[in-house]
Amino acid sequence: MAVPAQLPAPGVRRVIARREARWGLLFVLPAFLLFLAFRFGPAIAGLLLGFMDYTIGGDAEWTGLENARRLADDPVFWQSLRITVVYTLLYVPLTVAASVGLALLVRRAFRGVGFFRSVFFLPVVTSLVLVATIFSWVFSSGGPWSRILSWVGLPADSWLASSTLVLPALALVGVWSHFGYGMLIVLARLQDLPREQEEAALTDGAGPWPRFRWIVLPQLKPVLFFLLVIETTASFQVFDLVYAMTGGGPARASYTLVMALYDQGFKYFDLGYASAIGVALFAMTLVVALIQRLALGRDK
Amino acid sequence: MTATTTTPAPTTTAPPARRRRSYRALQPGPAGTVLRYVLLAVASVVTLFPFYAMVVLSLKPTAAVEFPGSLLPWPIKFDAYATVLDSRDILRWLLNTTIYSVVSVVAVLLLAAMAGYAFAKKRFPGREAMFWSFLAMVMVPYHVTLIPTFILIAKVGGVDTYWGLILPTLANAQAVFLMRQFIQGLPDELFEAAKIDGASEWRMFVRIVLPLCKPILATLGVFVFLWHWNDLLWPLIIGQSGDMRTLTVGIASLQKEQVPLNVMLAGSVVAFVPIFAAYLVGQRYFTEGVTMSGIKG
Repeated sequence: MAVPAQLPAPGVRRVIARREARWGLLFVLPAFLLFLAFRFGPAIAGLLLGFMDYTIGGDAEWTGLENARRLADDPVFWQSLRITVVYTLLYVPLTVAASVGLALLVRRAFRGVGFFRSVFFLPVVTSLVLVATIFSWVFSSGGPWSRILSWVGLPADSWLASSTLVLPALALVGVWSHFGYGMLIVLARLQDLPREQEEAALTDGAGPWPRFRWIVLPQLKPVLFFLLVIETTASFQVFDLVYAMTGGGPARASYTLVMALYDQGFKYFDLGYASAIGVALFAMTLVVALIQRLALGRDK
Repeated sequence: MTATTTTPAPTTTAPPARRRRSYRALQPGPAGTVLRYVLLAVASVVTLFPFYAMVVLSLKPTAAVEFPGSLLPWPIKFDAYATVLDSRDILRWLLNTTIYSVVSVVAVLLLAAMAGYAFAKKRFPGREAMFWSFLAMVMVPYHVTLIPTFILIAKVGGVDTYWGLILPTLANAQAVFLMRQFIQGLPDELFEAAKIDGASEWRMFVRIVLPLCKPILATLGVFVFLWHWNDLLWPLIIGQSGDMRTLTVGIASLQKEQVPLNVMLAGSVVAFVPIFAAYLVGQRYFTEGVTMSGIKG
């Protein structure tokens, strides 16, 4: 009599399966509908709008590559692209280097290690608007940064007022606000590494640098690549910090792509043109993802 | 029998002893230890100084005086807080941010747990197609969807409303993934026992699935909360009237209005305290969330 209890008759099983399917759909449906309305639909619409002329209240008109032509002829777009790339080239290597350096410092257990780890992650949870507020003071003329510069004999002008130094200033603030994230990711990987090789190298008399260079670093490669890709993608999309700290100035010297997208879309309501900037951003992200694929493929 | 029990014995005791020895071996020597503390101290000062300055300068009677004299913690005056609390709408901003964050966290967790449970443990038509469409969207940058989402919300009258602010942010594909991944790891027997008991599906979800998911819900909840609390772009676009501003939008607007620094920093401290408190209490979840997104994401 125990057998039918374990294995219901085929008819009963069908009923159960149908009930399961109905409940499965019901459970997925709310999330899926929201997803269709606010992610899937808008993603398709965003790509299409990049090829349309559309202002709010007006009619959408298919203009093909007109927006792309406008972008190509728009010096402000090229400038914002250049600024975004320069920011990325400053921000990404510094952030990755700081992440790895501090992860190595807090790798082993010692007195106070938990405190240091907590301190370094604190900026990551802090809103970039607050970060921008306080760093506007740090970089103001007469603020701490200009004092340090004058102590070491460098010109003490405010970096935020200089069209060449505003991007390094923003990149430094970006590094300050985000290195703790990379530090935790690298740290997690470091703690998974087997110790045998390092111990063997130590027994053979290898110092800290050779041990890092030839044993630890090769094993960190995948995680560093992951970090490089997400930090690059994030810095292509930099907005909050620039909006709150410089507003894109002085004289558009820190006017990034997403600043341009925001102004075109929500100041001038030229939504088709703003979407074309979004498509350009998407293309840049795809290129980075492709490079990642190729590089990882080559490694395997 | 004795032979098989004695042979594994040395290997089970050997590793801890060896690990303890090597643990000491891989630690730096005295000079290295000093160097490590010096570097960490410098990095900590650089990290903490802006927070210290934020608090101290917000307690100054006037906009910041000369550096470094302005960094002494006295005299303490709460003038900036009085100004920011009475004449500014900061309490309204705090309320808006709280509504935006809390409602979103609860809704995202519930929706993601439901969908994650169905994707992990139920068979239904279209499951794979739906799941892969979620997966594909992670590649598309947020900024591509921003403008169409704004148009959609504007068309249905959601500009300057709480629902218009909150609803689009509930479509969180990453949350659904994490939930699915976690629930897939739970043994099927847990659910089958309840099914034989004749528990209804919804009751089973609330009584069994949700409690089992507590650890992942805490981690995910912390991250969704943080993201909403600090979000700038979407509230900036959708909350166009002064009453709908969140803390981030409000403080950014103070900057554009050239409000004195001490008042702006007092506002910043008000915005920072809740996140700081959450960080002190739930630090473990922040750390777990990062490593989870880093390794599995």
